[in-house]
Amino acid sequence: MNLKAFNRALWVYHLNTGSCNGCDIEILAVLTPRYDVERFGIRLVGSPRHADVLLVTGPVARSMEDSVRRIYAQTPDPKVVIAVGNCGAEGGVFHEAYSLIGPIDQIIPVDVYVPGCPPRPEAIIHGVVMAWAKLEKLVQQEVA
Amino acid sequence: MAVGETGKTTYTIPIGPIHPALKEPIQLMLEIEGEKVVNTDVLVGQVHRSIEWLGMNRNNPVQTLYLAERICGICNICHPFCLAMAVEQAANITPPDRAEYIRVIAAEMERIHSHILWAGVAAHEIGFDTVFYLTWRVREEIMDLIEYVFGNRVTKAVLQFGGVRRDITAEQLPRIRKSLDYYKSIFEHLRRIFLEDRTVRMRTRNVGILSTEDALKLLTVGPTARASGVPKDVRQDQPYSAYADLDVKAITPDIVTGTVVGDVYDRIIVRLLEVKQSMEIIEECIARMPEGPIMSEPKMPKLLRLLTDAAGEGIGRVEAPRGEDIHYVRLEAGQSTLATWKVRAPTYVNLMAVPTILQGMQIADVPIVFASIDPCQSCTNRILVTDRATGRKSVLGYEELHRLSVEKTRELQR
Amino acid sequence: MERLTPQAIIDSFSKKLGDGFVSGSVYEREVAVKKNKFRSLWVEVKKSAFRDAIEHICHLQKYPHLAIISSSDLGAEVELIYHFTIYYGHHLEELSLGLRVKLPKSDLKIPTITDLIPGAIFTERETQEMMGVEVVGIPDGRRLFIAEDVPEGVYPWRKDETGPEKLLRVLPERKPKGKDKKG
Repeated sequence: MNLKAFNRALWVYHLNTGSCNGCDIEILAVLTPRYDVERFGIRLVGSPRHADVLLVTGPVARSMEDSVRRIYAQTPDPKVVIAVGNCGAEGGVFHEAYSLIGPIDQIIPVDVYVPGCPPRPEAIIHGVVMAWAKLEKLVQQEVA
Repeated sequence: MAVGETGKTTYTIPIGPIHPALKEPIQLMLEIEGEKVVNTDVLVGQVHRSIEWLGMNRNNPVQTLYLAERICGICNICHPFCLAMAVEQAANITPPDRAEYIRVIAAEMERIHSHILWAGVAAHEIGFDTVFYLTWRVREEIMDLIEYVFGNRVTKAVLQFGGVRRDITAEQLPRIRKSLDYYKSIFEHLRRIFLEDRTVRMRTRNVGILSTEDALKLLTVGPTARASGVPKDVRQDQPYSAYADLDVKAITPDIVTGTVVGDVYDRIIVRLLEVKQSMEIIEECIARMPEGPIMSEPKMPKLLRLLTDAAGEGIGRVEAPRGEDIHYVRLEAGQSTLATWKVRAPTYVNLMAVPTILQGMQIADVPIVFASIDPCQSCTNRILVTDRATGRKSVLGYEELHRLSVEKTRELQR
Repeated sequence: MERLTPQAIIDSFSKKLGDGFVSGSVYEREVAVKKNKFRSLWVEVKKSAFRDAIEHICHLQKYPHLAIISSSDLGAEVELIYHFTIYYGHHLEELSLGLRVKLPKSDLKIPTITDLIPGAIFTERETQEMMGVEVVGIPDGRRLFIAEDVPEGVYPWRKDETGPEKLLRVLPERKPKGKDKKG
């Protein structure tokens, strides 16, 4: 896979919409020297305005709906959304709860799903790479 | 100008969901005067997932056990452990002795991984990112061990009502011992980094103090309470499972320093020493583990039938890495769900101590002080800082708060 | 105050509260290989004697540890259990003490205990919002966990018509399983 159109590092913003932290800990573990994703040029940023990729975890809690929509709007195009974990993909174990407003794709459009409860760090890296390829295509379409 | 309004500026700091070292979102409203915090209001609810409702209405008890695991992704042995104890008390099931020991080994391994995780987060909040990476690298060893023994890194599903689902075989013991030796060899290094570094001491000594009396009145639990000199430890006071055979002592900071101050530095001491204590407990458990079956009722349909017919109530209390965890369960005959289920995780109680420990702190200290109670909702989704007089609201992202904290460290280092 | 045996504690409640004391029991079981005892006490009192019972517990143990207040919907009444523990800090000495109070649904009020135990504030707020019990005299009665857009009058822990069934949200292809049918 040759990422020619995308000539800088991939900046990722992590958003927790009310998850149990399992997925978040595995995402952080991806940064640590064992898996060390920064050598590929992927790094976590502190603001959605700098991000290319949104990494979203958790079944969306009612009080977080506003935040999720706002952060999606703040992220500049082209962008890709990755839903990490079963909760984000289809509700997981929480699929009938009264205090949640449905999996992430009911609120914002999702491009890549990484299933697992929680998914292994290797799976998360795979998901991010898939998103990177998709972003590549989006950028190429824009240029063309 | 009215008294009390002179010279104060209100600012509102909403802090959006953040970047590493974050866990669940939470909202803190700080009232500040100049640079110091005078009042805090804690608003929770961003992670409310109606788990108790699901357990009481949608799931049968065994499904609820797996649901309980996902209450928290970091401490996911303690909640099923509590639930299993409560249901076993209600339904009058007794797990075999070997299962009790395996449960304790799982719980102690989880404690090691959780405390090392916290140490990395605390270092990150102060600004020592290298230490963050170092401790999380060290943590990978225990995660590998957990995966080797129990099958998965995070959600292990090793508990069941009446016992455990997987056994620890004799072939696995050498590997466990090897990991424990690795941790023993590295413990001294970690201890020196956290307890003897001059900057860590300057950032954490006399910061975020919780007095012994406040800790007792506000019902604080866990390392936060023990660091303030209150020797509450469920493993010592009301031992459950295999702890009843061991002699676990609550660790208070005067073991190392001779006095109890109740600040962030004391909390670091307590957690590091608990890692050492956990290693010793695992070794003792391996040495004493009796032979025998691991489940009192291995067949699932029979177990479900037993739980549906049972009636009674029970409590389970467990010492989770963050403090005392308690579940209350009531079973009714003929009902295939739990009739009543109440969960109280330790951070629920420790959050009430937050206004007290943030009193008089500078804004730059807020991240490390808040992280020192090891909240299982650690990162602040929004911090609203209100300034009374002007009503002017300005938005500081969490980045800003974290940057202030790191800057303070660099200044101290000069 | 020196430490009493479990049965002596139950008797002291009965003596102090007189009529207000309904029942008490001691639960004991053996744990693990050495067969040490795990003990817990259950005491039921009438609502009128509730404050006296709390003061008695504060007398048995300075700064008693309140773990949580649990509530159960029993149809016509709501049962609150205040889970205390006393004699903490000593090996094998701690006792769990569950203080039970039954409230009829027509009059769901209970006095606050935050003046004696400031740390009870969160759990009283939660009981208020989740079960609909009014805690009289609570210093801060705001909602704790439930989001603002959930309407008043919805009490998630109840099993009657005020439960949150209407707020369940499932994927379009699925039907909610909802409450358990008996049997």
